[in-house]
Amino acid sequence: MGVEVRDTLASMPDTLHAYDHVRGIYFPIAIGVFALVVGTLLVLVVLGARRRRADAARSEAPRVELAYAIVLGLVVAFLLVVTFRAESPIDRAVADPRLRIEVTAAQWSWRFSYPNGATVDAVSTWHPPRAYVPTGVEVEFFGSSRDVIHGFWVPQLHFQRQFLPGFTTRFDLRFDKPGRYGGECSVFCGEQHSEMHFAIEAVSPERFERWLDAHAPKVSMQGAKTSARKASVTR
Amino acid sequence: MSTVAIPAAAAPLRALASTDHKRVALGAGAVAFAFFIAGGVLALLMRTQLAADGGVVSQANYNQLFTMHGSTMVYLFVVPVALAVGLYFVPLQVGAAEIAGPRVALAGLWLLVLGGLSMWSGFLTSGGAAAASWWGFDPLSDSLHSPGSGMELWIFGVMLATAGQILWAGCIILTALRRRAPGMTLMRMPVFSWTMVATCLLVLFSFPALILALALLWTQRHFGGVLTGGLGAVDYQQLFWFYGHPAVYVMFFPFVGMVGEVLATFSSKRFFGYRAFIFALLAFAGLSMTVWAHHMFTMGQVTNKYFALTSTILIVPAGIEYFDLVATVWRGRLRFTTAFLFALAFVVQFLIGGLTGVILASPPLDYGLNMSYFVVAHFHYTIFAGSAFGLFAGIYYWFPKLTGAMLRERLGKLQFALMIIGTNLTFFPMFVLGANGMTRRIATYPKSTGWQGLNVLETAGSFVIALSVLVFLANVVVSLRSRIPAGEDPWEAQTLEWATSSPPPRYNFDALPPVRSYAPLLDLREQLASDTAVGSPLNSFNKGTP
Repeated sequence: MGVEVRDTLASMPDTLHAYDHVRGIYFPIAIGVFALVVGTLLVLVVLGARRRRADAARSEAPRVELAYAIVLGLVVAFLLVVTFRAESPIDRAVADPRLRIEVTAAQWSWRFSYPNGATVDAVSTWHPPRAYVPTGVEVEFFGSSRDVIHGFWVPQLHFQRQFLPGFTTRFDLRFDKPGRYGGECSVFCGEQHSEMHFAIEAVSPERFERWLDAHAPKVSMQGAKTSARKASVTR
Repeated sequence: MSTVAIPAAAAPLRALASTDHKRVALGAGAVAFAFFIAGGVLALLMRTQLAADGGVVSQANYNQLFTMHGSTMVYLFVVPVALAVGLYFVPLQVGAAEIAGPRVALAGLWLLVLGGLSMWSGFLTSGGAAAASWWGFDPLSDSLHSPGSGMELWIFGVMLATAGQILWAGCIILTALRRRAPGMTLMRMPVFSWTMVATCLLVLFSFPALILALALLWTQRHFGGVLTGGLGAVDYQQLFWFYGHPAVYVMFFPFVGMVGEVLATFSSKRFFGYRAFIFALLAFAGLSMTVWAHHMFTMGQVTNKYFALTSTILIVPAGIEYFDLVATVWRGRLRFTTAFLFALAFVVQFLIGGLTGVILASPPLDYGLNMSYFVVAHFHYTIFAGSAFGLFAGIYYWFPKLTGAMLRERLGKLQFALMIIGTNLTFFPMFVLGANGMTRRIATYPKSTGWQGLNVLETAGSFVIALSVLVFLANVVVSLRSRIPAGEDPWEAQTLEWATSSPPPRYNFDALPPVRSYAPLLDLREQLASDTAVGSPLNSFNKGTP
């Protein structure tokens, strides 16, 4: 199968940039609000420590609080616009992914299955073998679980999705930077949950092609698919 | 007096058999605090394992540790202790002689004890205690993946304790709604009692969902066919979080109420923005029933944007509550008691939990942070750095009322300093580790991750917390052994529980002062001051009743 980098895809937002964009807005606001509240409290406490008598002339300010509530509402609206705009492209599956990888999770392993029948198995290990992906294109993942809930988490992409038994979880990821992306099961899934790691190696599309060809099973395409499926059932 | 006499020697029996709401509440508080210590010991074992780089417990035992730590803290400590404070003080604050349904309240105490014993007895079974996390998510918790009686005992234990909490909520809310003193309209009910009303509404509407979820889980384990496949997993989580998210506010509202009372009392002025606060509180309670599935953003099976919307809107009522807490301190005459310090720390530290909650309510951020130590840090800042600090504010404030003796202020401030240091050392680094990809619920992380340094720091912090709790226990022992008498009202407080002896008599009050606002004792003092100013101090007590 041919995989090529297309400039139009490269300009689409990916999970990493969505996360960085939203974080760049949320975190400074959170820190600002924290500083404001703590600063105000500090000033009031210092002043109050010197006061001999409470100045109880006023015990409510409904108009001020109403205006304040409106400001809070505007902040909420702003945050939601930021969040929704960043989330939509992540949740939406692209129409023409360049590669589909089936990921099957089980207690306590990951299996990456490629269209040509190649598979990469990571079984209960902190040092998993690497599943290759091409850089710069949308890769479609079909995730499922064979037993309990597992969480497919790639911290460097700031992305995770849960795999449920009997469901196929579909999502796209883009790996812009070449290199190793560690992954782990994020949803507690039993005794060896801690060992459930995988690794993804993002390489140039050309290198990916060569890797994929080298890892193709030594049978025809048709046969490869069935044998891969059989292997996953009997494992 | 005509009831069957219980032998005087049977003091523990009497503690378990009295229908006086104050005794039931003290029993519940003591049981819950014992579970706090027990759950804390489990946390220390986990922290030791993480600092020692393994070798202390096996992964299988570690799974039991965090399951029972979370279960104990939520089901057996924070929720019960919040309701226990309500059992004691709501009748007193509203001027009632007795709680509504005293025997029902007593049954709640028994259910808590039985539930706790059931959950913890799992450690005695051959397979060990439950190890499917405090959520008990299906299918991990089904009979195939979690065989054994530890899980069964956990299910029954959680059901029993939760049933008891529902009973307590019924008693407390009925007392607040039906047994208020003459003159105490709803809008004159003290802030803490109002937060308990909101809390009990949440308990009554959401806790049955947990019992249902666990009943389905039990049925699935024994007969199958109710929670099947991925859909069953989603169903269980919908029901669980329909309980689990309101439960988060059950673990928040009462402590906000305590902090509100403490801030007002030690600022020597009435609570600021009372009406706005109550309105925000009720809106908060209603909204909090609509946010549960933000725990399920990464499942891809719920409408994330809807739950992001409802969760983020919580900023509005939470912001108003914060405004009122801070404004209560404004222009007050401050008294820096231990209770006041804990209340101030609650405001600051809970804010960290709240703001990170807004961050996690944004799905693009949650996709990156869910299930990591960032989340662990977030909810420990709300529940421990927030609610537990609020609880200690309440304990230092109300201990004189409970016992007639003051807690020692010096030991209290020592405890406060240790707890501040320990809490932030333990939980703040978790934000960093979580954002770097450290997953929850793992017993040993390889050295290559580079997380060991911060893990050791966190463990050191957790032992400082343990030390602070020991200082507190020492303070209780010292204060009860050589008593500094408290009198009726050692703090110049504002609400009715301070208008009776300490501890209050069996039926709470000999006489009630007039109630003209949510701070009746402050009204009396102000009246007295103005009467003194015009030279008529004698007829101040009942003057000018409308």
